[in-house]
Amino acid sequence: MASIMTSNYQPAVSAVSTGTLSQPDWLTSELSTGTTIAAVEFDGGVIIGADSRTTSGAYIANRVTDKLTKVTDYIYCCRSGSAADTQAVADIVNYHLNFYKMEMGEEPLVKTAASVFRTLCYNNRDSLSAGILVAGWDKRNGGQVYTIPLGGMWTRMPVAIGGSGSTYLYGYADANYKPGMTKDECLKFIANAISLAINRDGSSGGVIRLACITKDGVERHVLTGDQLPKFYEDS
Amino acid sequence: MSSRYDRAITVFSPDGHLFQVEYAQEAVKKGSTAVGVRGKDIVVLGVEKKAVAKLQEDRTVRKIALLDDHVALAFAGLTADARILINRARIECQSHKLTVEDPVTIEYITRYIAQLKQKYTQSNGRRPFGLSALIIGYDDGPHLYQTDPSGTYHEWKANAIGRSAKTVREFLEKHYTDEVAGDDKECIKLTLKALLEVVQTGGKNVELAIMKNGQPLKMIDSDEIDKYLAEIEKEKEEEAEKKKAKK
Repeated sequence: MASIMTSNYQPAVSAVSTGTLSQPDWLTSELSTGTTIAAVEFDGGVIIGADSRTTSGAYIANRVTDKLTKVTDYIYCCRSGSAADTQAVADIVNYHLNFYKMEMGEEPLVKTAASVFRTLCYNNRDSLSAGILVAGWDKRNGGQVYTIPLGGMWTRMPVAIGGSGSTYLYGYADANYKPGMTKDECLKFIANAISLAINRDGSSGGVIRLACITKDGVERHVLTGDQLPKFYEDS
Repeated sequence: MSSRYDRAITVFSPDGHLFQVEYAQEAVKKGSTAVGVRGKDIVVLGVEKKAVAKLQEDRTVRKIALLDDHVALAFAGLTADARILINRARIECQSHKLTVEDPVTIEYITRYIAQLKQKYTQSNGRRPFGLSALIIGYDDGPHLYQTDPSGTYHEWKANAIGRSAKTVREFLEKHYTDEVAGDDKECIKLTLKALLEVVQTGGKNVELAIMKNGQPLKMIDSDEIDKYLAEIEKEKEEEAEKKKAKK
């Protein structure tokens, strides 16, 4: 997984300092969802979660971003990387999947959605900076999570993490994920994960957005302020 | 005289006809009937289901097509031509949503289909689409539009296309009232009654779909259709009884 995490990020400090009148980085940096996203499968559906910080350099452009984006009624994607790139890609995937639904007369499979994402991300890999998790429920294979990191590779995983904050979560995920967890255990797992990453990653913060997707549709939750899971902080 | 002017579609006849377009309209008149009725809170589409051969699978013949969550189309005429138009319309519905972040209005998509049809009446070496379409849907309110092979479109309160369309339209003109329009069930029954003018009785021979505000297109299954048909029969008998009693 780590092998594809090549840094495509713009450096936060971009001005050449010729004296005192250099521009602040947030005027010149690209808008990024330097982020923490996570998704996990359970029997009957998926739980997805994300933080809510969008940064332009060091300036937090949006502290209540919604990075969990709907592509169909039963399939969502978690966006990390460039905000513009991921929004554009998600909109186009939404277009394709809506058309698919009209043509086929039934909901598209999660695999189909992930495949459309992958096609866009791979064919435009040189121009895009997008790391996406596709998660949802379909009637053929139940809950599924697919990860599509930077180059456009796609693979199905029972638990997936992404974004700049995810580097701090590999240990947590490996130690705490067990196959066969219930829906509530998964909710706790994701909420804890995002919270831990927010504590360590400067590009992640704000509220924790959660969504649960099952055959009955989507249930969304927000954890704000005091509701964020707490861990040891020595002060 | 007409035979010299119906080859290349781009040519007018001396008396101002585009014969290919008129021939396309003849093709429409051979297609199975479709009826549309617009009520106050509902739009109803009914189509005649042609009898299938013994070995043919019944459910694969779908004459009511969904263009988007809030627009549906029924047609009369060449099925293969319709498939092409429906495909193009579906793409346009999504393309519109992607660029302007808003679902199409019924007028917009009807205009798109009509413009497409018109293009084929003015192109070299191509023939017009041999179908008329009834387009129903909801934007700010319920709408029913009709297009024909010439590329014109109009909005209607109730209309019919295909075989015996004239008879059915006359029936609709006689029986469509604001009272009927105000009641969902009455609209459904009017559509059925209109279809029954030209189709053999029985839920097996008609396909019915309704659309209400904010709800997806609902196909009425044949059991429910039979229930409506039974009601219609009862009303007819009661009418006949009343007439007898008057005498």
